Amino acid sequence: MKTLSELHLDALTEVFNIGAGRAASSLSEIVGEEVKLSVPRLQLVQPADINMQTLALNSPRLGAVKQQFSGPFDADAMLLFTEERALEIVRDMMGSHISIEELAEYEQDAMCELGNIILNACLSAMADILKISFQSSLPRYVVDSSDVILRQIIKDTNLSIMLALHIDLTIEKHHTQGNLVFLLNSTSLQELIAHIDHFISGI
Amino acid sequence: MPPLIIKPDKQALPNDTIWQAIWDNVNLGLILVDQTGRVRQWNDWVAKRSGIPAKSAEGHTLESLFQDELNPPFKSALKNSLTHRLPVVLSNALHRSPLPLFPWPVTERQQTRIQQSIAITPLTGGADEHFCLIQITDTSISIKRERVLKLHSEQLSIDANTDALTGAHNRRYFDERYKIEFNRAQRQGTPLSLLMLDIDFFKDYNDNYGHPAGDKVLIAVVAAIKSQLNRATDVVTRYGGEEFAVILPDCEAPENHAMAEKLRRAVSNLNIPHCKSKITGTVTLSIGITTLECDAKCSADRLLETADTALYEAKHAGRNRVNYLGAAE
Repeated sequence: MKTLSELHLDALTEVFNIGAGRAASSLSEIVGEEVKLSVPRLQLVQPADINMQTLALNSPRLGAVKQQFSGPFDADAMLLFTEERALEIVRDMMGSHISIEELAEYEQDAMCELGNIILNACLSAMADILKISFQSSLPRYVVDSSDVILRQIIKDTNLSIMLALHIDLTIEKHHTQGNLVFLLNSTSLQELIAHIDHFISGI
Repeated sequence: MPPLIIKPDKQALPNDTIWQAIWDNVNLGLILVDQTGRVRQWNDWVAKRSGIPAKSAEGHTLESLFQDELNPPFKSALKNSLTHRLPVVLSNALHRSPLPLFPWPVTERQQTRIQQSIAITPLTGGADEHFCLIQITDTSISIKRERVLKLHSEQLSIDANTDALTGAHNRRYFDERYKIEFNRAQRQGTPLSLLMLDIDFFKDYNDNYGHPAGDKVLIAVVAAIKSQLNRATDVVTRYGGEEFAVILPDCEAPENHAMAEKLRRAVSNLNIPHCKSKITGTVTLSIGITTLECDAKCSADRLLETADTALYEAKHAGRNRVNYLGAAE
């Protein structure tokens, strides 16, 4: 059973940064200001090691945008922010003309769209570069206590592996960190490795 | 559209006529575009709200049908969904009204676009044919409903914190606000003054003049106190019966004494006759003050007790007066 080598991780980081660049330009178009997005770090996490520390999200409550991707390999993708950060991002995206009280009603809607843009951009960059294609469910946004969200990740993982992408997002000069998490079962992981190997050998 | 009549027949799937009827009857905008971005079909809902019949739309791109009326993020989203064949959502929060669709039936009034929430999902039509289904939900009603609910909940939270008779804040509000102000003062190392006020011989007033008259006194006293407070952060609350509490953040001696004296005088100047008062013949206030000094180590409960004791002492010293007591550590 193969696992992701440093070389694989480097290649994937590059792929996801291309996706992040695409997402940033879509977001800039919506916000009307420059949005910066990058994936500085990619990490492979075993189920036993999934906790708040590995996710580097220290907050009692988390917001998560989820999409299920299927194709040559399947992945549950999830974009995670602390609840406060999620609110700040929505506020920045909507501009200052909206009050914080009004935000709650829009939060879910806007976060779904933000997550959708970032998740699609990363997956489509991967699809383009590895020359494969994916289908996906529509995005769903959930806000809950960190424990509940983590438990769900661990349960979904079901002895599979997690790819955690630390992302940096800058909107209107506000800097935010979040996490993009892909959950893959071992068959899917083997498929992913095979596709990256194929890509690397083709360079 | 004629009413739908579906015969119970377990064997047959709905035929094309039924599918067409469903397509045109859903309360949702549906646009099917092919991989070149041309409209293959759109339903009645879209036809009515765009003013363009389905037949006229077929074979044209949305850009040529709507021209400059389409918002750029919508164009990018559709292009992305067609290229990568991944579903895309456009939230109402960030786009409001991406498509030039207007309320139906049309009224005489000037029309504004429908508030929209959009989902674009890729569909595969077998072999190499790909489509995108654009679903448009009218969110105008839910947005209006949320506004109404928000207004109601704001009113409810005001009501829950207000004393119905006097319009002052109530005890529930005091308990919360006092905790917040106390913690803030301790955190920032700023002083906090607390005043407890009580109407002298109020029970005798009620017994003599009756409760409706007593209620009027409570209202007048609160109005008099409010008229003297000039900072938005100064809070007057009806603490119980004829007792009031005033929180003065960032305030210490001698300003708190001056303020207490102003409040006492304002009520005394109302000159409300009180023949059962054993001191002046008018309605008066006794006031106890205490202050949380900067850097003092005193609990919130202790400070409140001290203000109460200060008031008790003011009563015993003859009423219609202000009495200060320092908060002991």
